[in-house]
Amino acid sequence: MSDWLIGYLPLVSQSILACGFAFSQYIVLRAGVFSVATAGLASIGAYTAALATMRLGAPPAIALLASLVVGALAGAILSIPLARLRGVFQAIATLAFVQIVLSVALYIEPVTGGALGLNGIPHVIDTWHLVAFLVIVVYLMLTLGASSIGRAFDAARQDETVAVALGISVVRHHALAFMLSGAIAGLTGGLYAFHRYSIVPEQFGFSLLVESLAAVVLGGRISVAGPIVGAITLTVLPELARGLAEQRYLLHGALLMLVIIYLPGGIVDTVKFRLGQRASGRLANKPPAPGGQP
Amino acid sequence: MGSVYAVFALGFTLIFGVHHILNLAHGSVAMWGAFIGLIAVSPAALWPGTPFPTPFLPLPVAVVVAMLGGGLIGVLLDLVAFRPLRKRQASEFAALVSSIGASLILLSLAQQLSGTNIVRFPFGTFPIEIFQFAGLRLTLLQITIVLSVVLLFGALVFYLYRTSFGRQVRAVAVSERTATLLGVNTTSVYLQIFFISGALAGAAGVLIGLLFNSVHFLMGEPYLLRAFVVVVLGGLGSVVGAVVAGLLLGMIQTLTVVYVSSGLSDAIIFSILFAMLMIKPTGLFAGLRRDARVTRA
Repeated sequence: MSDWLIGYLPLVSQSILACGFAFSQYIVLRAGVFSVATAGLASIGAYTAALATMRLGAPPAIALLASLVVGALAGAILSIPLARLRGVFQAIATLAFVQIVLSVALYIEPVTGGALGLNGIPHVIDTWHLVAFLVIVVYLMLTLGASSIGRAFDAARQDETVAVALGISVVRHHALAFMLSGAIAGLTGGLYAFHRYSIVPEQFGFSLLVESLAAVVLGGRISVAGPIVGAITLTVLPELARGLAEQRYLLHGALLMLVIIYLPGGIVDTVKFRLGQRASGRLANKPPAPGGQP
Repeated sequence: MGSVYAVFALGFTLIFGVHHILNLAHGSVAMWGAFIGLIAVSPAALWPGTPFPTPFLPLPVAVVVAMLGGGLIGVLLDLVAFRPLRKRQASEFAALVSSIGASLILLSLAQQLSGTNIVRFPFGTFPIEIFQFAGLRLTLLQITIVLSVVLLFGALVFYLYRTSFGRQVRAVAVSERTATLLGVNTTSVYLQIFFISGALAGAAGVLIGLLFNSVHFLMGEPYLLRAFVVVVLGGLGSVVGAVVAGLLLGMIQTLTVVYVSSGLSDAIIFSILFAMLMIKPTGLFAGLRRDARVTRA
């Protein structure tokens, strides 16, 4: 029994790290910011943690704290210019940010090790650390979502004009969402570095961006359970379908398209919406998509 | 170099101008264009041992075949990935995600087709001739590429501004609802736009494949990212802007490689994009919408 469990531990860790990135993506989308900066912020966090331990000799706990702080700072700084942009333009700008981080990490070889990356990072994070991390993040998200901040996020996402009319500072809440996203991405990046022995710049490129976005889209963009369901599905599915390992991207792509076309709210939000509908006893013929536009 | 960016970005900006969505599958369509062109020139490069002779089709025919293929993929994209969303009036976000999904599917199929190998056009597909011109060294290939880009651009401008189809396209770009009320068949306009965009991507793919003499399943992605820069610099949806900004980007990139460092050229390019979005998000040139208004009189 325990052997069976141990066999699956890597998969559990992988799912949790994916959940971390997905939450970083989730929080900005929830606040109505169309940012895809998660991959870049995670890269900054991972390099901060790895460099703090390897070059400065900081203990891992301090290094992780540093990655959290630096990630949040990077998110905060990024939010200043982005406050002027909306929608697709935000997406392009953050995509540019991810590319800038990637190419800088490749370029400053003496610090980051260039394309070879950093190797021999001490392996101090075990699965149970990651489980604790996930519990904390989920708790934070739940309390945040139930607080006035969460409601302000919802208002800003659904209609900015209404939010402003209600006295919510959209700029400030967007900045807060960016900081939270940066903090989560930075910390997850740090954990990733300590869990994986080595990091290379390409790990935090376009594919990570797509994967965290896919997790949130698949799971759901409003409820906290959404990113978890999405991230776990996307991590476990290729393992379940070992025979289809070659078709991994095909599966990802098809799943993304099917979900966005037929299940636009994501798995969790749609299920929740249907259940809520049934409970209140009114079954509309055509349920509107839950939530507003991000 | 810059002119290849221009062709690539033309198709991208066209879809954005008319449809207001970012088609992230554009890079994959270009990659497929390159593969189709390659197969048309020499099936043996991909499947050794096929009975077809190596110069299977002459290059110009192959380019046309690639453009047709790219166009068909574009139409398919529209039918599968975007039309269901349009029916539901979904957000930009949904279209973006859907195009990422489509892109992954196209990439994965090409990966299995090529077995992740880098394949090449057979030697001598294009005659290597070098001209000395006022101290510049130009190959015949470069000149041909520039000429074909001018040709494609001219054809597109003619189509958009001198034909009734083009007028319909511009009307849809201004307002889909109004255009429908005035009797424009928006479905056919979208199909046309996706066909043209795909054809341009296909042409760009073949040109890229010839220029660097390598075709592989990830070749489209860096161009897609640069197309963002081109399109933002030139103004989202602007046809003229895409060409000018494409040439500009080619120059900037070459200059940074020569004078600064090749490693930093991406960082500089994307910093320009970022700065541009901050200062003037509408780009250097007005979009299709504005163009349409000007020519209305």
